[in-house]
Amino acid sequence: MKILIKGAKIVNFDDIIEGNLFIRNSRIAKIGEVSEEPDKIIDAKGKFVLPGLIDMHTHLRTPGREDEEDLWSGSKAAAKGGFTTIFCMPNTRPALDNQGQVNWLLEEAGKIGIIEILPVGAITKGREGKELSEFGMLKKAGCLCLSDDGNPLEDSSLLRRALEYAKMYDLLIISHCEDKNLSASGSLREHLISSKYGMEGIPWASESIAVFRDIELARYLDTKIHIAHVSTKRSLQIIKKAKEEGVKVSCETAPHYFTLTIEDLEKSHFHPNFKVNPPLGNREDLEAIREGLKEGVIDCIATDHAPHSQGEKELPFEEAPPGVVGLELAFSLSYTYLVKAQILDLKDLVKLMSYNPANILGLKDKGYIKEGAWADLIIVDLSRSWQVLPHKLFSKSKNTPFIGHTLEGIVEFTICKGKVVYTEKGKNG
Amino acid sequence: MVNWQKKHILGIKDLTRQEIEVVFNLAASFKELSQREVKKAPALRGKTVINLFFESSTRTRTSFELAAKRLSADVLNFSSSTSSLSKGETIVDTIKNLESYHPDILVIRIGYSNSLYSLSQYTSASIVNAGDGANEHPTQALLDMFTVKEIKGTLEGLSVLIVGDIKHSRVARSNIFGFQKFSSSLRVCGPPTLIPYEFHKLGVDISYNLDECLPQADVIIFLRIQQERQTSSFFPSIREYVNNFSLNPERIKRTKKDCLIMHPGPVNWDIEISSQLKERIHPLILKQVENGLAVRMATLYLVGTQKGEYENTD
Ligand SMILES: [Zn+2]
Ligand SMILES: [Zn+2]
Repeated sequence: MKILIKGAKIVNFDDIIEGNLFIRNSRIAKIGEVSEEPDKIIDAKGKFVLPGLIDMHTHLRTPGREDEEDLWSGSKAAAKGGFTTIFCMPNTRPALDNQGQVNWLLEEAGKIGIIEILPVGAITKGREGKELSEFGMLKKAGCLCLSDDGNPLEDSSLLRRALEYAKMYDLLIISHCEDKNLSASGSLREHLISSKYGMEGIPWASESIAVFRDIELARYLDTKIHIAHVSTKRSLQIIKKAKEEGVKVSCETAPHYFTLTIEDLEKSHFHPNFKVNPPLGNREDLEAIREGLKEGVIDCIATDHAPHSQGEKELPFEEAPPGVVGLELAFSLSYTYLVKAQILDLKDLVKLMSYNPANILGLKDKGYIKEGAWADLIIVDLSRSWQVLPHKLFSKSKNTPFIGHTLEGIVEFTICKGKVVYTEKGKNG
Repeated sequence: MVNWQKKHILGIKDLTRQEIEVVFNLAASFKELSQREVKKAPALRGKTVINLFFESSTRTRTSFELAAKRLSADVLNFSSSTSSLSKGETIVDTIKNLESYHPDILVIRIGYSNSLYSLSQYTSASIVNAGDGANEHPTQALLDMFTVKEIKGTLEGLSVLIVGDIKHSRVARSNIFGFQKFSSSLRVCGPPTLIPYEFHKLGVDISYNLDECLPQADVIIFLRIQQERQTSSFFPSIREYVNNFSLNPERIKRTKKDCLIMHPGPVNWDIEISSQLKERIHPLILKQVENGLAVRMATLYLVGTQKGEYENTD
């Protein structure tokens, strides 16, 4: 299959050029004038072509809770949101903590073949935080990174072993930073608002204490570490300082941390769709996250896509599980609240959502549009807006605080390895 | 005729000072009614009130039950601890099921803080909060304030002190929001571990020294202390708690002569208050119980009729 994308503005993290882009089979064959006859032409005049987005952090609920999301619905949602590569977290039932599980998942993902699903293996067996899982076998099965996400590694000695042992296989450890003794049964940020309603709060220190410990271990052992879903000002200060001092730490945040605060949670009358972990912070945290994205202290935007069933989100706020769906919203949220709001430019966004994640995870020929790279591309129209309506989401779960919101920027085409895997309704592709 | 606009009574936070005054006026009428030979009014005849208690509380439930009966409503008591809900059945399911009886008012006691607004989405009935976790217990605060007003004649400019486990207390929160609406000054006193985070931002004075607080107070509310707070290290021992925060015959000498000493009950004698003070404290507690009935009649009447006045047509 040969596809010619005509007249688009091609965006990389370091440059925007205008021109044609020619795809042959699964790779980008040529950028510029092309004489070869294509099978298909996409006229992209006035549109932008971006490298396919890469999400380091999704929960696909498979195996175990396929009623909330399965590989098919998750892939469709990802493609619609402009993601061509997603990493799925191992907190499934059973956990992705051994070669057999990972093989099974990749086999199932291969049958669907919409976008590329890559597994994150569990650091410990059963994610119990007791014994290391078989890193070598997980690597062999296709894991590039490991995480016990959902749980922190509470035992510092165990985290030390994990970081050390991961060196042998060049596996990246992704850490969910939370001091569980401090966060305890909290369901929102400890704040005047939690105090006013008598709700158990989570101190902001719960995150930064864990971030600091993890960074100290990475510094001590001279290993890499990646901090998931950073949400507080203090965590960012610690990370920034460590980076300046040469610690090999990278980190991500999620769109809800630069768009919402605990005040929005109160305004929603504490709707469970606003419950996330770590919890929504205050205005200062939100500003710090925006600043961190601008300064480059934060390396990526990941979704922490966490589908939950209607029933689970009908539970009282304090009982409801945390998490929001994000695959279909992340790009438009980021574009609306960061680019449109003139905090970042489009190139920065490409860096945060594609180039950097590809680099951090060592994905070859992804995250940068160039001849010879995988033809993982999206075409976006930034002049149009859309409304978030639950029945229009491809994800099986509809738990998002942005229902009813109007967002800027629409993904019109998603191309994964040379195949058009998503076309916006009404577009001919 | 004054109309009442609120469908639910979920918390004192949401009530205006005027609305609280409407409750007081009604409560006074109903208190008078309760002293007659025929204690019943037909105001809620034909209406169904369900007492839905997910946490047991005989005292509050009994008070609401009698209040509803005095107003001639049909009353159904539905008690179920959340742990005994059958597997997979949720609180929302229970409320949806009760919809089949077309209740007019649900009186709900629940362990989850601040959960009633979301539950109100699943019923067409009015909800009266009978205590939701550590959030609010509005009828308790209304009866406390009503009692203080009855004795002091006003709530304006009083100095109100609340002592004990503020953090976990819905009674404390409702009273704070209530008294503040009448420009009373509020002070809380207890171990720092039991004072909620950033609580001073509510305009509440914070103290850890009961002896210092006692002389200024016009009203003191002692809160019930749960023994399990000790095992989770909010304080090291009951003995130490008693040393610092218990009202005893020595301490009571430091209070104003006309200081009102209240307790939402049941009192842990010799923990919050020394049993030697029983005779001094008891009459007011009994008055609180009596006023509780009148205030609860008022709240049921308001949400059940949407009328802000009661005309005795009998
Ligand atoms: Zn996590
Ligand atoms: Zn996660």
